[in-house]
Amino acid sequence: MDAYVSPQLVGHLLPEILLLAAGTVVLVGGAFHRRGHLWHLVALAAPALALLVLWFQRPGPGAEWTAEAAPLALDAMARFARITVALLGVLFALLVWQREPDRPAEYTGALLLLEAGAMLAASAANLVMVFLALELVSIPSYVLLYLVRRAPDTQEATIKYFLLSILSSALMLYGFSFLYGVAGATHLAAIRRALAATTGQAWLGLGGLGMLLVLAGLGFKLAAVPFHFYAPDVYQGTTHENTAVLAAVPKLAAAVVLVRLLWWATPGLEDLGWRVVLVLALVTMTLGNTLALWQNHLRRLLAYSSVAHAGYMLVGLAAAFALSHSGRAADAAVTALLFYALVYAVATAGIFAVLAAWSQGAKRVETVEDLAGLSRHRPGLAAGLAVLLFSLAGIPPLAGFWGKFGLFSAALQVVRQSPGEVSTWFVVLAVVGVLNAAAAAAYYLRIIGTMYFQEPGPEADQVEPGGGAPLAAWGAVALVVLLGLVPRLGLSGASRAGAALQAAAAAPVSTVAAQTETAPARQARLVSPDSREQ
Amino acid sequence: MSTWLIVSLALPLLGAALAAGVAAAGYRVVRCVALGTTLLTLLVAGYLAFQFPADSPARITLEGAPQAEPFALWEAQWFGSPEGPVDIRFSLGLDGLGVWLYALSALLMVTAVLISWETITHRPGTYYALLLLLETGLLGVFTARDILLFYVFFEFTLLPLFFLIGIWGHEERRYAAVKFFLYTLAGSVLTFLGLLAIAWWCASQHPQGVLSFYLPTIEEQLRRTPLPAELQWWLFLALFAGFAVKVPLWPFHTWLPLAHVEAPTAGSVLLAGVLLKVGSYGFVRFCLPLLPAGSAAWMPWVMWLAVVGILYAALVALVQWDIKRLIAYSSVSHLGFCMLGVFAMNRPGLEGGVLQMVNHGLSTAGLFSVVGMIYARYHTRHMAELGGLARRLPLLSTVFLVLVLSSIGLPGLNGFAGEFLILAGAFNRGWTAPAAYAGQLYLLAALATLGVVLGAWYMLGMVRQVLFGPLQEPVREEGEPHPAVRDLRWYELGAVAPLLVFVLWIGLQPGFFLQRMHSALLPLADRAAVSYYRSYAQAHLPAKNKEQKGQPQGEKQPRAEEAPPADPAR
Repeated sequence: MDAYVSPQLVGHLLPEILLLAAGTVVLVGGAFHRRGHLWHLVALAAPALALLVLWFQRPGPGAEWTAEAAPLALDAMARFARITVALLGVLFALLVWQREPDRPAEYTGALLLLEAGAMLAASAANLVMVFLALELVSIPSYVLLYLVRRAPDTQEATIKYFLLSILSSALMLYGFSFLYGVAGATHLAAIRRALAATTGQAWLGLGGLGMLLVLAGLGFKLAAVPFHFYAPDVYQGTTHENTAVLAAVPKLAAAVVLVRLLWWATPGLEDLGWRVVLVLALVTMTLGNTLALWQNHLRRLLAYSSVAHAGYMLVGLAAAFALSHSGRAADAAVTALLFYALVYAVATAGIFAVLAAWSQGAKRVETVEDLAGLSRHRPGLAAGLAVLLFSLAGIPPLAGFWGKFGLFSAALQVVRQSPGEVSTWFVVLAVVGVLNAAAAAAYYLRIIGTMYFQEPGPEADQVEPGGGAPLAAWGAVALVVLLGLVPRLGLSGASRAGAALQAAAAAPVSTVAAQTETAPARQARLVSPDSREQ
Repeated sequence: MSTWLIVSLALPLLGAALAAGVAAAGYRVVRCVALGTTLLTLLVAGYLAFQFPADSPARITLEGAPQAEPFALWEAQWFGSPEGPVDIRFSLGLDGLGVWLYALSALLMVTAVLISWETITHRPGTYYALLLLLETGLLGVFTARDILLFYVFFEFTLLPLFFLIGIWGHEERRYAAVKFFLYTLAGSVLTFLGLLAIAWWCASQHPQGVLSFYLPTIEEQLRRTPLPAELQWWLFLALFAGFAVKVPLWPFHTWLPLAHVEAPTAGSVLLAGVLLKVGSYGFVRFCLPLLPAGSAAWMPWVMWLAVVGILYAALVALVQWDIKRLIAYSSVSHLGFCMLGVFAMNRPGLEGGVLQMVNHGLSTAGLFSVVGMIYARYHTRHMAELGGLARRLPLLSTVFLVLVLSSIGLPGLNGFAGEFLILAGAFNRGWTAPAAYAGQLYLLAALATLGVVLGAWYMLGMVRQVLFGPLQEPVREEGEPHPAVRDLRWYELGAVAPLLVFVLWIGLQPGFFLQRMHSALLPLADRAAVSYYRSYAQAHLPAKNKEQKGQPQGEKQPRAEEAPPADPAR
């Protein structure tokens, strides 16, 4: 049969190949040439090239690549998430570019591998591939955490993250085993078909159990309650740069995998799904925001804020579950979730870029008070930070507003289109959600207020921005403003992704099953309408 | 399609960029940029406002001319498309409701720049840039014809004001800025949810299921198939959360005195002059037309809150020693009048309410300007430290007095026209109400009238203390007389003179302004009155209706055409 390694395939996977190759080159070459600007340049060039390739790539591969045996689904959602990761990769490369590099080359190498992992996770369509891709995100992140160790608390953070991450991977694998046991296959399309065919059978409870375990494993990456405990400690213990990576990439990867694996591949479990996810969303955002209000350490504060944002993302997932539960199109909810993940990741990367830029010199910005009066000494970056924080708070006309708009709109769609009990729950979710958004503004405003309304501290003029971090910050600010003013730039991509999944989900399962016997190569695709044209 | 509106919105944006760009040249340059921009914008806005067609009430009937043609329409698709699945438009237009508030915003911006002329020397580039950004937001709020666009502008106005209060305010500025922002945001997110829910409900009724945020589409759909009454009840509550905080209705007003007192003068001017109107504007723009039954159901409650606010704020104002705080409380009291008029849900009440929004904007903005000028001279706002200023500052005192008289509703000045219509509307609501409600409504109207008296009391008390009596200036050093102060400078006169012109104009010829509101407000008032009757009169007065009409009708579900005619207001 067709060889899997075709030129077309190489073309489609070129971004990942580029990143992996660059990462390997840096890791090998780093042994000979340490601490140079050269490796930073490679780390910048690779994702930039990948972004270019992705931008001009036609979405959707040929038929042989979407076959059930194929481990990757290169659909519109994959494209959206891969572009996001490549974009983040460029930002990260600038972010970690120090004025005088003092980190070993392995740092940039690990960063590249992590980005490749996230890209693969975005398109993984097979349980094994999902696990491998997520591990390719996790393992380099241990290296990142370990390489910047300076003090005992950094080591504590590294160990904590390592152990909990392994635990979550194990939980997820355990969940995979249940899904495999129920469906008898590892490919998501096959699982979907099997679960749809067995709806109503008693042993489906095992599928539900598998779903919960997977949710637990991904909840760790998402930093959702009750798997959020590591986030404040780890973020506080490490550097601004590492926090940016940890807060953005695993969350994005987890969001995509959640949609593809939990929502798309498990028909019949929606009823359980929306209940669990809704409660998780409620608790996650409320707890995250409440705890963030009392923090003084910036990274700890933003850690709780990132927990809260995980809660908002879960609103989208809950809405998607509930809509499919009542047989409605859920593409708007998926769109909102993906767009939110993009906006959150960019804004978070930008915020830590500003903080990193201000921590290059002798004086490091660590607590909220350290920001006092910085608008006076660093007006440009301070304004940038304010814009990014307002975006996270969801103030129009910034990108964050459209993110929240999409999510709460999806929740109200459920209210409108679902019967009694479901509808009541989603009213509660929407009301608690918007009130949370307002409460979250309190701590963002505290940061901005300290920056703008307080007199500068004695050491404020020693804050010297440097390296590539200011560039990364400006890039993020530009994106946040642009996506806010012209939301269709990001939303149309996300909405194509949602529509593609919806179309694949709406394809009647029985026909797919019938095709299985007749045309094995064309069975159960994860295809977008675009790829059908080809 | 007319480009004037988008030009008037874009001008301040450009000006803001320019002001930030020339910040290094010093405040003398930046303030000229800001003044030039606001004057140009005022020119465009004034041109549009005076081009706005006048209409006679006779031509307007409930069915005949349901909604006037939007004036100076400018539209572009923002997101999605009219065919769906989502339809969000960048649509701007003027109608009778928004036109004077739009013009008022442009006018008060010039005042705001002139009032900051000499007082703002700290970070002038940022200051004027924020002021101009605020102008874009405000002009957008009053012209937006898309729910989402309205909300974007509505929230966007928070940002510049947050920084204006927080950076250039007085001692408690940080607390005041954060409280202002959070209070307003907490309310408005619920409003947002309510508006979204309305849009979703319309989408589920739409043949193609288009989720449209375009206001005319939604209005038309809701006119054909209104929302279920119970849903309206809840949605009104959601919308109320944001607008009531913004107005502010008692007891949601606590952020306001603080924000006013701590804000720089220009901030207070804009906050009192225009930003508070966004709340009452929201009630008229969204609650009455989209949720008529919900508004009717909540009407007595809102009216009670408004009247309690009128009296409570007036009593609190009576005991203030800080002039600025006194005027801030008087704002709460006057906005209570606006809300009373709007929720009388008849022609005089609604028109009076909207006219009073403009009136209050003129007089209170003027009063805050004058207080700012006094503060710039004496660095105090304490009434006991001032006295007999009419002797030292005759021109300023004259302006102050005229504005005070306008604020307490002296016939011949603008305040009278508005308050008279509002009280007429409230009493009218009383004598057209079913007997079970009439007593309550009379009581409300009578109490509101008492508020007018209280208003005169605290305002004139303040005038007597500050302007008349023996000359008294704050003591700087023991035994030293206060250094000489100058009367109004040219820029100060420029800040308040246009306000005085309109104070007199509206006072002497309110018809000119009302005629331009008729096209939007009269059908709205009539429709609101119909829904009021459906909710109250028919439920309580089935017998009387039968007598009058001579035909039996269903007691629970009366049809629209059987409802009693709208109030014979004029």
